[in-house]
Amino acid sequence: MEIPYEVTPRRDTGLYNAKLGVWLFLASEVMLFGGLFSAYVFLRLGVQDGVDNPWPWGVSVHKNFVWLGAINTLVLIASSVGVVFAWVALKERNWRRYQIYMYFVVACAVVFMCLKTVEYNSKLNHHHGIKLIDNSVMEGVILDKTDRVRFSAEKITFSLQAALPAVLRDLDSDEFPAFTVTDGPEGTVGTEIKTVSAFKSWFHENRGAFGEALAAERKRFRAETASGVANPKPVAVKGTATFTAGAAFALRGSPRKILGHDATTLNYRDGVKVEGKLISDDVIFEVHEVDMQLVLPQQQRESTVWKVINDEAAKQSFFTQQSKSYQDLVKYYEKRGEVVPEKMLRGRFLNVHYVHVAAEGHEGEEHGEKDKHAAVHASETVLTAGSTGGEGNHGPSRHLVVPRDQVKFMGNHGPRYGNYYAIYFTMTALHGLHVIGGALVLLFFVVFGKKLYLKNPEHLANRVEVGGLFWHFVDLVWIFLFPIMYLL
Amino acid sequence: MAEATHDYSKTKKTYTAVGIALFVFTSVTVALGLFPPFDFGPPGPTASDFVIGLAVATTKASLVALIFMHLNHERGLIYKLLLFTGVFALGLMVLTLFADMDPIREQYDTFKTTGGWLTNDRPE
Repeated sequence: MEIPYEVTPRRDTGLYNAKLGVWLFLASEVMLFGGLFSAYVFLRLGVQDGVDNPWPWGVSVHKNFVWLGAINTLVLIASSVGVVFAWVALKERNWRRYQIYMYFVVACAVVFMCLKTVEYNSKLNHHHGIKLIDNSVMEGVILDKTDRVRFSAEKITFSLQAALPAVLRDLDSDEFPAFTVTDGPEGTVGTEIKTVSAFKSWFHENRGAFGEALAAERKRFRAETASGVANPKPVAVKGTATFTAGAAFALRGSPRKILGHDATTLNYRDGVKVEGKLISDDVIFEVHEVDMQLVLPQQQRESTVWKVINDEAAKQSFFTQQSKSYQDLVKYYEKRGEVVPEKMLRGRFLNVHYVHVAAEGHEGEEHGEKDKHAAVHASETVLTAGSTGGEGNHGPSRHLVVPRDQVKFMGNHGPRYGNYYAIYFTMTALHGLHVIGGALVLLFFVVFGKKLYLKNPEHLANRVEVGGLFWHFVDLVWIFLFPIMYLL
Repeated sequence: MAEATHDYSKTKKTYTAVGIALFVFTSVTVALGLFPPFDFGPPGPTASDFVIGLAVATTKASLVALIFMHLNHERGLIYKLLLFTGVFALGLMVLTLFADMDPIREQYDTFKTTGGWLTNDRPE
């Protein structure tokens, strides 16, 4: 059966079927991205409230990404031009040129996604931030796993009702410390466990046995209640086990899995309790930028961040830069016969600046602090011995020791870091999926298009036109994403 | 196989010109964001930068939609469809006005103007 208007457009509308279909689809896409743009505006309007990490802005951390974003914009524009030229090549019945343009477009898509990967990787693995308790924010790098609580453990107590204890993943070396069961279900006390797999099978076996024992106990309790026994014995099954290691072993507790810790115990969220000795819970940090947007102007000089940084030169340089920015503002407003408005004092322009802390030995530093730093580094060396070697992190910047009780929030620049990163990852990832989808469709048209081209080149041209419509839409979304995510 | 029926040399010139224009506009956007001499309004990212940045983006988007997506050759039906989409998409943007009707925010603003948040302290 012949389908009407598959290739030739209808006279009254000027459209062939596929084109109408794609435009309807694009209309729905506009609504999809429209909702997210609307969400962006909402989040942006709430920025000044100070409940979130501040919106980042192009000094050190953010500026590198602007160039990646700009190159990606150019790449997408080039690919859009490629698609229309491929379409023209088909209209001119030039298969060879069509092929070249289409492969160029797909190559552009690959370049775009590669740059995106570089950017994501950089945000997720190489940029971190710490928000201190007075809401000042330091941007920089948390040194190798120092966001974790380093603990020298001897004894682990866990529940047999929960999932496999998270602590297993925090053991510091590949060597599993040999354990002895010192307390646990009947008949297991004294068992030695030497490997992770042995631990896992022991755990699953005993969890199963615990479940059965519990069910039996409950049945017993219900039966006794039903038969009218006065004060039946309550349901009680031992559901915990304690392991003791032959020698102390190193642990690095993931901060997200820990409920709390003190000098001798570490409590996990999944109910695991670890006893031993705290090595260190300080975070070692290399600072690149200080963000004071959430600190009142009159409190900035006494901010916690300067106590943590403990470097007069760095502090001075921050306020020198701030002062210079302020003079720029004054100059701008004086020309118009106005004073600097209040809200400008709280903005990003005045309150985000580079901070470089000179490496040890270069600037004056209190002796006590230095000793503490050295001690932490010594313990680090013990922990990292045999795994990473601990070398290569020492740049010209001094590594700061950030006490954990001064930290309100810390993390990489992933979606949970703040509203900006949440909306950034949502929108760019959705856009990235569109790039992949569009590129696959266009690739299909060039790899498997020859047969249709020989049969009815006009039909293939139509397909490329509607595929191109989608591709241009993807470009169009990026045209808006680039300035709002990177520049403004 | 049917042969080409139309001369596309003029179309190709248009596409090239639009491509170049888009490259230029992208450079303008980057300059607006990164280099102080191109910074409009008060220094730093402000509302005026937003307006100009989005105006440039809208111009670029219009070029893509009109020329690359062939909207300039389309007839009424597509425009009617896009009109509907536009109205609803605009509705989504209008929703953000609710941010100003937030009662908690109102209290917060009152607090800001009356208690301690306004300050005349200026950096030295």
